[in-house]
Amino acid sequence: MAIATTQTAVSGLERRPPRRPSLFRRIKEHWADYLYILPAIGVMVLVIGYPVYYTIYLSFFKTPPSLSMDQKTFTGLDNYALILTSSSFRDTTINTAIWTFFSTLFAFVLGLGAALALNREFVGRGLIRGLLLIPYVISAVAASYVWRWLYHSDFGVIGAIAVALHLSDHPINFLDNVHTVLPSLIVVNIWKEFSFAMIMMLAGLQTVPDQLHRAAMVDGAGPWDRFWHITMPHLKGVTLVTVLLMLVANLNGFTIPWIMTGGGPAGASDIWITQVYQLAFGRIRFGPASAYSVILFIVMMVLGYFYVRALGGREEREE
Amino acid sequence: MSIVTAGMVARKHTDPWRWAGRIFLALLLIFSVLPMVWMILTSVKTQFAALQYPPQWWPQSPTLEQYTTLLNPTSSVGQEFLTYLWNSIWVCTVTTILGVMIAVPAAYAFSRFRFPGRQWLFYAVLLRNMFPAVVFLMPLFILMRYLHLVNTGWSLVLTYLTFGLPLSIWLLKGFYDNIPVQLEQAARIDGATRFQAFLLVVMPLSSPGIIATAIYSFIICWNEYVYALTFLNDQDKLTLPVGLQRFFTEYATNWPGLMAASFIMSVPVVAMFLILQKYFVRALTEGAVKS
Repeated sequence: MAIATTQTAVSGLERRPPRRPSLFRRIKEHWADYLYILPAIGVMVLVIGYPVYYTIYLSFFKTPPSLSMDQKTFTGLDNYALILTSSSFRDTTINTAIWTFFSTLFAFVLGLGAALALNREFVGRGLIRGLLLIPYVISAVAASYVWRWLYHSDFGVIGAIAVALHLSDHPINFLDNVHTVLPSLIVVNIWKEFSFAMIMMLAGLQTVPDQLHRAAMVDGAGPWDRFWHITMPHLKGVTLVTVLLMLVANLNGFTIPWIMTGGGPAGASDIWITQVYQLAFGRIRFGPASAYSVILFIVMMVLGYFYVRALGGREEREE
Repeated sequence: MSIVTAGMVARKHTDPWRWAGRIFLALLLIFSVLPMVWMILTSVKTQFAALQYPPQWWPQSPTLEQYTTLLNPTSSVGQEFLTYLWNSIWVCTVTTILGVMIAVPAAYAFSRFRFPGRQWLFYAVLLRNMFPAVVFLMPLFILMRYLHLVNTGWSLVLTYLTFGLPLSIWLLKGFYDNIPVQLEQAARIDGATRFQAFLLVVMPLSSPGIIATAIYSFIICWNEYVYALTFLNDQDKLTLPVGLQRFFTEYATNWPGLMAASFIMSVPVVAMFLILQKYFVRALTEGAVKS
């Protein structure tokens, strides 16, 4: 056994050690391997590990506006109570849910549709895919200003088109109206990210074996049956990962609401993430903002758990 | 023969679906492209022409005045804009180079070695994607203040490194997994050290992965807004996204100028993306989808 493990250590390139000695011993034998990942882990610990710890820590304190941290006072769970009982928390949570759910749903459906339409060879396929991906690639700040201009209450082109088509008799005020602001922002978000779902699903579609489709065709299955019974079951894993990544991205979707409305009017487009930012860097109240972050963080970790499980399941099946 | 006939029958069946697909794609294309077309059309109007109702659907007297002002280093607007542009280029180039230098050995180790904790560490790296950016903002702001990095590009470099790293590592690991171990073993039998084998055999084979990783990191960095907004105050340190916002507050009614600035800002990433689309798509889908 000793010989076997030494050999593994020497060649190092074998897929798996034949038997598992104690953890300490294995770490000792593989110590040099850790050098390769040390820089990555170092940066990660500094920029992720420490902040996670410090945010949780800070969420139990009242911090002074000067941000000199030696003057903070321990207040237990007060910050959490403050957030959860605040008058705006309920509305913001509803906004967050609407924003996250509808952005993800529509972006995914559009992306899946585009992927299905693009999943065959035709002239200009690459070009169309490229054009559809441009909104995803450009900066969210630039996109937000472009859409602010499109939505402009007096000179916006969308309002002008609505008037030209007799859908409205005056230019529509999209962003200063509490009823239209959130749907308007969701449209921008869908515009920005549907192509992410598209390329993920397109990549997934390419793993569906052609033979299955041909076999089903011979058996007389129509396109709809083939979609539900062959394509979709194959896409289950990719769908799960894509939807989870989009949920997280939307929960974190700060730039579009922040640039376009700043959460207004009257908090109608305020979501968790913009509230946290406002609390932390607008009102310099790091304690409550940290508590808010932790709440967000817990939601995220639940999603993260499913994400890792979805990925882990795939890895195992492959091996 | 039977497959051919089945295919023909099915083609007759799928025709309406194919048409539905084409119409859907056309509508989606309009939805995607029109906002950008309007951005470009507005950017070549004069301020007076832009603020008209009903709008000039096509610019009557197109002008490049906004672009020449923005890119003219002697005008005050141009000076400001070019500073932002340069800051963005500097931050993103440094981030990309450092990111590749860190990701390559890590990805290689995750692919090749079987050290204890490997699985756990790997998922920890991936989990970075799940964390809300704002969770890190406050502690990082305090940390950067402590390190005296607030208001410098280095605070952004350090932060942005971690954005790209998880995906870079994952992507590169996929490349290394596909390079046969035997190639390295052969090189080592011929007397190469492990490092030489890595440098001379593995690195060249994984260069598409490195290119993909680099583009991905660069684009993420170029577009990042929240951290730049928080860490930078001085006007001469701002990167483009925050600079654009400043533009908006300073010259609020100059929509053509803002559209021109947005256009210039989008050109590098869109160009990079269109040229290297294949790699970029791979960078995004790698890991979640394995064929």
